[in-house]
Amino acid sequence: MCEAYSVALTVELPDLHLRDAVSLERPWITLVWDDPVNLMSYVSYVFRSYFGVPAAEAERLMLQVHNNGRAVVATGNREAMERHVQAMHGFGLWATLAKDDA
Amino acid sequence: MMPFQPDAGASAGSVPGPIVVSARFEAIEIDLLRLATTQLVDMLDAATTDPQSALTDPAFQRLLPDAYRDDAEAAAEFRRFTSDDLLAAKVANARSVLDTLNEAPGFDSPGFDSEGREQTDLELISETETDASVALDDTETVAITLDAVAVQAWLRTLTDLRLTLAERLLIGPDGEIRLEGEEASFLGGLYDWLGMVQESLVYAIDA
Repeated sequence: MCEAYSVALTVELPDLHLRDAVSLERPWITLVWDDPVNLMSYVSYVFRSYFGVPAAEAERLMLQVHNNGRAVVATGNREAMERHVQAMHGFGLWATLAKDDA
Repeated sequence: MMPFQPDAGASAGSVPGPIVVSARFEAIEIDLLRLATTQLVDMLDAATTDPQSALTDPAFQRLLPDAYRDDAEAAAEFRRFTSDDLLAAKVANARSVLDTLNEAPGFDSPGFDSEGREQTDLELISETETDASVALDDTETVAITLDAVAVQAWLRTLTDLRLTLAERLLIGPDGEIRLEGEEASFLGGLYDWLGMVQESLVYAIDA
């Protein structure tokens, strides 16, 4: 019985450390940049259909891209942000990911 | 072109899923869209075969932009892991658009047989000689109906076409066309027209 406990401990410990490391890390963000080609209506549609945000929020993000040159459209871990960026490139939008500066 | 409209569902379905939108195109517009999309497929196929030379084409910086702005190594790695899938998806979308164009009712497409298979020159010549009457008159319009899957392929391919044309037209961050001459006015017209088609499609699925 004792042996079983010690095995369980050695398996679980690295897991705990990993979780701590992840939670202390600054999150990553997905940015969409203004480009002269994509239509405002299309960008708004992409935000709505892909991220599932309400129309008003999609419109707000689209206008932020248009007026400020970029907008943060998602926050999370690096893998998730890479998936979002790949999806945005699939739609033909100019997207990048970066560590959150804030 | 008569803009895309939400379809009432009354049209005879040549598409597998429920029809979402429909529009009418002039025969010459169908030809132009097919020509541009075929060139896009060729370009994407060439990039799939030879990714290194594709990187030197600035159009690919718009189609597959760097995922990291300030980290060239991470950007290269992201490209290594994603570009095959992204290119394959872009090719599949463009081929889906070509399928729609080739299957449009009442349009006998030059260069393609009824299965959408590209015909040889010999087949084309013999068809022209024996049956010239199938060619559409310029004033006739062709109905294009799209289901939900086709809508996605069209939206994305129209975007990829405009991104590629924007590079050829030397469109800068301000949106101004810097290319000059006859080619610029033709390509510029095509660029604007594709934008109009896309806008009407976005509004139609929103309606």
